[in-house]
Amino acid sequence: MLKRLTNATLAACFILPSIAVASDLDGMTPQQLLPLAQKEGSVTVFSLSSRIAKIEKAFEAAYPGIDLIGLDMSSTKQIARIEAEQQAGVHAVDVLYIADTPVVFTKLLEAKRIVNYVPPRVTGELEDRYKGPLLTQRLSTKVLMYNEKAFPDGSPVANLWQLTEPQWQGRVLMVDPSQRGELLDLLTEIALHPDEMAAAYKAHFGKDIEVEADLQGAGEQFIKDLFANDLILVPNSDVLNKSVGDVNAKNPPVGFGTYSDRRDNEKEGWALQIANNVEPANGILFPAVLTVADKAPNPAAARLLIDFMFGDDTPSGGPGFEPFNVPGDYATRRTIADHPDSVKLGELKAWTIDPAKTAAARGRIADLIITLQ
Amino acid sequence: MTSLSLFAPSGGRLLRSGFLLPAFLIAVVAILVVAPLLRILLTTLTPEGLAAWKAVLFSPLSANLWWRPLFNTMILGFSVGAGCLLIGGFLAWLVVMTDVPGRRYLGLMATLPYMIPSFAAALAWGTLFRNSRLGGSAGFFETSGLAIPDWLAWGLIPTAIVLIAHYYSLAYTIIAAALSSVGADLVEAGQMAGAKRPRIFFGIILPVVTPALIAAASLTFAGAVANFAAPALLGLPVRMQTLSTRLFGMIETGQNERGFVLALLLIAVSALFLWLSDRIVSGRRAFVTVTGKGGRTKRFPLGAWRWPLFTVAVVIGLLTTVMPVLVLAASSLAPQSGALFSNWTLHFWIGEGGGEIAQGQAGIFRNPVLIDALWNTIRLGLVVAFTTMLLGLALAYTIVQRRGSLLATVLSQLAFLPLLVPSIAFAAAYIALFGAPIGPLPSLYGTFALLVIAASAHNLPFAVQSGRSVLGQISADIEESARLTGAGLIRRLFAIIFPLAIRGLFAGAILVFVKMVRDLSLVVLLFTATSPVLSMVAYRYAAEGFMQFANAITLVILVVCLAASLLAHSLQNRVQKWKQP
Repeated sequence: MLKRLTNATLAACFILPSIAVASDLDGMTPQQLLPLAQKEGSVTVFSLSSRIAKIEKAFEAAYPGIDLIGLDMSSTKQIARIEAEQQAGVHAVDVLYIADTPVVFTKLLEAKRIVNYVPPRVTGELEDRYKGPLLTQRLSTKVLMYNEKAFPDGSPVANLWQLTEPQWQGRVLMVDPSQRGELLDLLTEIALHPDEMAAAYKAHFGKDIEVEADLQGAGEQFIKDLFANDLILVPNSDVLNKSVGDVNAKNPPVGFGTYSDRRDNEKEGWALQIANNVEPANGILFPAVLTVADKAPNPAAARLLIDFMFGDDTPSGGPGFEPFNVPGDYATRRTIADHPDSVKLGELKAWTIDPAKTAAARGRIADLIITLQ
Repeated sequence: MTSLSLFAPSGGRLLRSGFLLPAFLIAVVAILVVAPLLRILLTTLTPEGLAAWKAVLFSPLSANLWWRPLFNTMILGFSVGAGCLLIGGFLAWLVVMTDVPGRRYLGLMATLPYMIPSFAAALAWGTLFRNSRLGGSAGFFETSGLAIPDWLAWGLIPTAIVLIAHYYSLAYTIIAAALSSVGADLVEAGQMAGAKRPRIFFGIILPVVTPALIAAASLTFAGAVANFAAPALLGLPVRMQTLSTRLFGMIETGQNERGFVLALLLIAVSALFLWLSDRIVSGRRAFVTVTGKGGRTKRFPLGAWRWPLFTVAVVIGLLTTVMPVLVLAASSLAPQSGALFSNWTLHFWIGEGGGEIAQGQAGIFRNPVLIDALWNTIRLGLVVAFTTMLLGLALAYTIVQRRGSLLATVLSQLAFLPLLVPSIAFAAAYIALFGAPIGPLPSLYGTFALLVIAASAHNLPFAVQSGRSVLGQISADIEESARLTGAGLIRRLFAIIFPLAIRGLFAGAILVFVKMVRDLSLVVLLFTATSPVLSMVAYRYAAEGFMQFANAITLVILVVCLAASLLAHSLQNRVQKWKQP
């Protein structure tokens, strides 16, 4: 009995300080983190973007003595790898830079494979919804895009319900939502706004919507009608952009794509433009998050890196954020200005997804679209 | 060789008991193949997993989630298998058995398509046949005023054609290796007995290469069934789903359990077909004959058919090799991916960077990691090809020796399955199994060794199938007489089996090498080194939207594969000296 007590006390002596250290780290400034991080010597990050290579240079220049090891891989592969590694008791990764947040939320956060960390330096400059359950660094889009060369007077679509009419039959493109998570999130978000979808229906058709018995709400009815109107599925955004954006196209289709792809218009010979004034919304904003892996081997350097990737106080965000500052993507940090060539974040008519809500509703929509194919 | 003969007897005595090798192989296959598969199976036996089984098999979703994709997949698998046998077999016969002009070049051209990624063939198809369904710029035929119906532009038919164009070279490689070891004495005997040409073909040659035909059919079937790029590019616009697109989608949208259930079911269905084809081969034990006895291969004079058949072969080569390579090359030179044949520039290869093009990125030959990546790629490909062939040869040997026994059936079935397990599930299983230290063995996490082990297991089917098809031809009496004179297993392996089977072994090694050099999924999940391999560099460029760089890298990979195959060819000629004129 006494022995057990001593053991417990001994254990407490060792464990408590380490817990204290972890929570201490969360409150430290970059200056306080730096010496600890330099003692750790390196930090490993999985990144959804290969632009992590630019961050590596900038980070190592700003904080000499800390080696940044950046591995770029898709969100799906990051999740698979973290799960498998932690099941084997391996803790080799410090930071995840990852999208696909509904899956991250259920598979990693709820399973306590990652911990949320908000750098104190920027906490006052972030809205609460960007600080939890996962720390959002920037927002990307899946929104309705059209060809501005073929439609010089602006978007040919002003209400999502138009896409279910004969005029747009076989002329709406989308990367297959049963293949790519972001598009599934987009359809899920539409289903999560039944009242707004019903109001938009009434505004367009002048009568109340009748939702079929086995569907829940106007959003799901829209999804069904969209598929029934010969929605064309494509394998990737490259195919979509070429089809929607081609400058020489006579009567091009519209499609749900990525706003920031517009920056390639000149290079690729596209005329992609966002259809912003669409009732009730033109699509979604979805987060790219930064998070610390559970039992990260370099906890101080991990936090220093996340802090660094929120940029400095300049409007461009400086070397820590600039690689990600492209028109059509949006920084969550208020001091970083939206790109002058793009619609301001406040004026963008897109819904911002909530990873927890999307995660809860996503399965039903995934099943629905399988039956519609 | 002296050191070998010193060691061989003692090792031989142990092995001659005929127990050690099979026991060892069972252990290896159990660890490398069965353990990861079991792990995947276990994850589908959790509550979520059981729900996934129900959703896939017994729910309103089943039709679209399992049955229709299964139907499409099987049609694809069988038509691609049959098409590949016809085209690959025809070319192999032409190159190896006849006096067709330009044999070496035809042979070289026939090995190329497998080295070109299948998406290039699908893109090439699009350049020609794309119609207005997707909008954007139409293909060659529509711009020339020829309306292309949807069934020819999208769906099952174009997917099958593109996959045949991609995989027939796999069949060619295996069948050509087997044909080249058909002894001239058999053919001459047939001729002396007065048999006509069709009689010799159907009575002698065809039966002798049956194991190779079955091997080729199984591998091309599996390749077609597991291929993702072609059905995604050509099938999705008309909502054609195959099991591979379904599987990819399930894992990509976080529904792993359903993905694993689909994978397991696909494995079960394919194993059934494999078992049937196995029965066909083992039912024909009479054909163990041939190689090692005869001299050079006897060539048929084609007579008046020489040039017409040559033309057919060249047309096949042009369509399946030159076209895709051209599209790849053009897309590494054209600044706009929509206009492949205008404004060509070498910028993406050797440009200095800093300018207007490609956001100031320099050409691939100015990328400092390229040389590193090239070296890593070649090293990885060679090591994996070597280990895979070693293991594959041992497995194939045991399977052939014990043909018809339960052990052989089980081993050959298991050795075939890894090809159908999705890489991402395979890699995850490996990390979970070998990431932690097992007993005295250290954790393999992040080591090159783990990558090599996983890759060897994943590519085992190529080695086993190509090994079997050749070993099946080596006549048992040569080995028997060696055994009677007291040669141990290792001695027999190196003095008899290896030289006789080398063409088949190298054929398998090349297939493994090519797969390894091109394949990204396994590497990305298992490799932690910061100096990447070529496919990772290509992925990095593609992820940034620079397909030109990515396609340039793909061409570099093609050159590496081609060089490896030429090297293997000259090596095997050196070993099989008796074949030289």
